[in-house]
Amino acid sequence: MRRRKATSALNTRLSPFQKIYLLLFAGFILGPFIPLIIQSFAFRWAWPDLLPSTWWLEQREKSMLPLAWDYVLSPYSRMLEATINTVFIGLVVTVICLAICLPAARVLARENFRGKPAFEFFLSMPLIVPEAAIGIALLMIFIRLGLAGSYIGIIIAHLIPTIPYMIRMLTAVYQGLGRDFEEQAMILGANRWQVLRLVTLPMLIPGVVAGALFTFLVSTNIFLLTFFLGQGKIITLPTLLFSKIAGGTLDASAAGITLLVTVPGIILLLVTERFIKEEAFGKGFGN
Amino acid sequence: MTKVQLKGVRKDFGAFTAIENIDLEIASGELVALLGPSGCGKTTTLRMISGLEVPSFGSILFDDKDVSEVPVQDRNVGMVFQRYALFPHMSVEKNVAFGLKVRGTPRPEIEERLQEILDVVQLNEFRHRFPAQLSGGQMQRVAIARTLITKPSVLMMDEPLANLDTKLRGEMRRFIRALQKRLGITTIFVTHDQVEAMELADRVAVIFEGHLAQYDAPDALYQRPNSIKIADFMGATNIFNAKVDASGQAQTSFTTLKLGPDEIGQGSRNASVILRSEVIDLLLTAEEAPADNTFAGVVTAREFFGATVNYSVTCGEEKIIVTEQSRRLVEIGQQVWLNIQPDRIWLIPEAA
Ligand SMILES: Nc1ncnc2c1ncn2[C@@H]1O[C@H](COP(=O)(O)OP(=O)(O)OP(=O)(O)O)[C@@H](O)[C@H]1O
Ligand SMILES: [Mg+2]
Repeated sequence: MRRRKATSALNTRLSPFQKIYLLLFAGFILGPFIPLIIQSFAFRWAWPDLLPSTWWLEQREKSMLPLAWDYVLSPYSRMLEATINTVFIGLVVTVICLAICLPAARVLARENFRGKPAFEFFLSMPLIVPEAAIGIALLMIFIRLGLAGSYIGIIIAHLIPTIPYMIRMLTAVYQGLGRDFEEQAMILGANRWQVLRLVTLPMLIPGVVAGALFTFLVSTNIFLLTFFLGQGKIITLPTLLFSKIAGGTLDASAAGITLLVTVPGIILLLVTERFIKEEAFGKGFGN
Repeated sequence: MTKVQLKGVRKDFGAFTAIENIDLEIASGELVALLGPSGCGKTTTLRMISGLEVPSFGSILFDDKDVSEVPVQDRNVGMVFQRYALFPHMSVEKNVAFGLKVRGTPRPEIEERLQEILDVVQLNEFRHRFPAQLSGGQMQRVAIARTLITKPSVLMMDEPLANLDTKLRGEMRRFIRALQKRLGITTIFVTHDQVEAMELADRVAVIFEGHLAQYDAPDALYQRPNSIKIADFMGATNIFNAKVDASGQAQTSFTTLKLGPDEIGQGSRNASVILRSEVIDLLLTAEEAPADNTFAGVVTAREFFGATVNYSVTCGEEKIIVTEQSRRLVEIGQQVWLNIQPDRIWLIPEAA
């Protein structure tokens, strides 16, 4: 009897306060997108009108698509190039970051060595030093090395702010995973690679997916470092967006680009959310 | 079938010495129990034999070949961990087949051996379950099956029964013993329960603080411990100081005991006598007692365990525990006579 009461208490309707809280929360996250969506479908929206004076729908015969989308989806916008660059750099950064951080996190979680606290402190340095300082320093070095304006240069630059986060996440996951499983696998005859592939990685999956997702999103959002080191030769979505609004105008096409920029992140989030739940927790993990 | 030898093995963790100089020989097909209190180095010893740790000094030999430097994967040993370490993301079937899979055994053979071993441990109906869906005893059988399927030359178990309830523990002991006999596999079994060690093992190695204190058959260890510490650990209660003379008499504070023929003519010395509580006869009248080794006392306490009863009998200054089948119950305060046969008394020399 008591049990049922407790569960139904959880299912009762929200209090007015909770409703307002949720509404505000949603408003803060979704609110900024509303003008963007309106803008991208406007034909003419002049200040101080609250809504566009002319909608695209009314001017349909003049253009097939809304003006903004017409431009955004055309080759002139360089959207496709920027998207491919962004995703490519993001993926490479994520893979390299994982390859560096998995062994490092393992050592940090399980071994004690001289100078470990100092090492951990230095790991957080990139989070403390301003991005602009790192960017300018790297640019000076990379120009000498001929890496400025190259994919390699940008990828190296992206690794600097992402590695500290990834190491932290993976260290926490490793600490939760005892040595027993790996040792048992070794005794059963598995070599290093098999232990990693069949035991360690599957058990680390939730942490690895979370870390990879985070790294990818951070990398696709980095503006300053990409801007410095891309030298205008390599454009990504953030730098493209910046060049659009740098003139000071926030027009319909800028709004369109902004909307498109958010799409990959949302898709990725939805996919991984399902993946983490089904793969790891559905199979009797954590209970 | 593999003979295992430890020669002068020592293990240091930094400044701390977990194992100091252990020599141990385990015959092929033998079941040996490593027995000792918590922290004495049982797990460390197993880990060195399995190859998870490298000894700081000394060597480990399998069939007279030094394997100290052979990596874990190539030793072909099996180890069942205390907490089983079943892979949580794999079904029972996948867990058990793991060892064969990583060795690249062909699929049909894996299927065949999997079926065979699942029948042995009676887990066929659970083959598609995940570890989180099994009971403790079932998990343990999965762990054993997973190890046995690889046909290890040495099987090690680290307190595999510690997490089970009393009834299941008894069942699993018999199961392990029967399996071990059938397969004739050299087995090393860690426990800190002396009853378990005696029931299961051909020989028991008692380890105290990284030293091998005694290595003997269970009955020898129980009846003839070589130190008071071991006697104590094996559950002996009646240990008294005595003066032994050349005629084989032991003078204690409460009586003079006649010893067995082995002790006659060894010169006089100080020693400890052990009177096992279950070999002492408790008599209600002096007339029915033999003349030798009978002494009087008063029952001062009684503990009832169901099948057995323990009486505390005060004889002079000392208290002696007597264990009896509970066919009768003697009242507290009763005057009694205790008798012990000379060859049932065990002597430990003073220094030990
Ligand atoms: N990796 C290690 N580093 C430092 N000390 C260790 C390490 N492993 C074990 N020890 C120490 O070595 C000693 C023996 O440990 P071991 O695990 O072998 O004990 P045990 O006999 O298995 O005890 P238990 O019955 O509690 O499992 C303990 O004092 C332990 O603290
Ligand atoms: Mg242990």
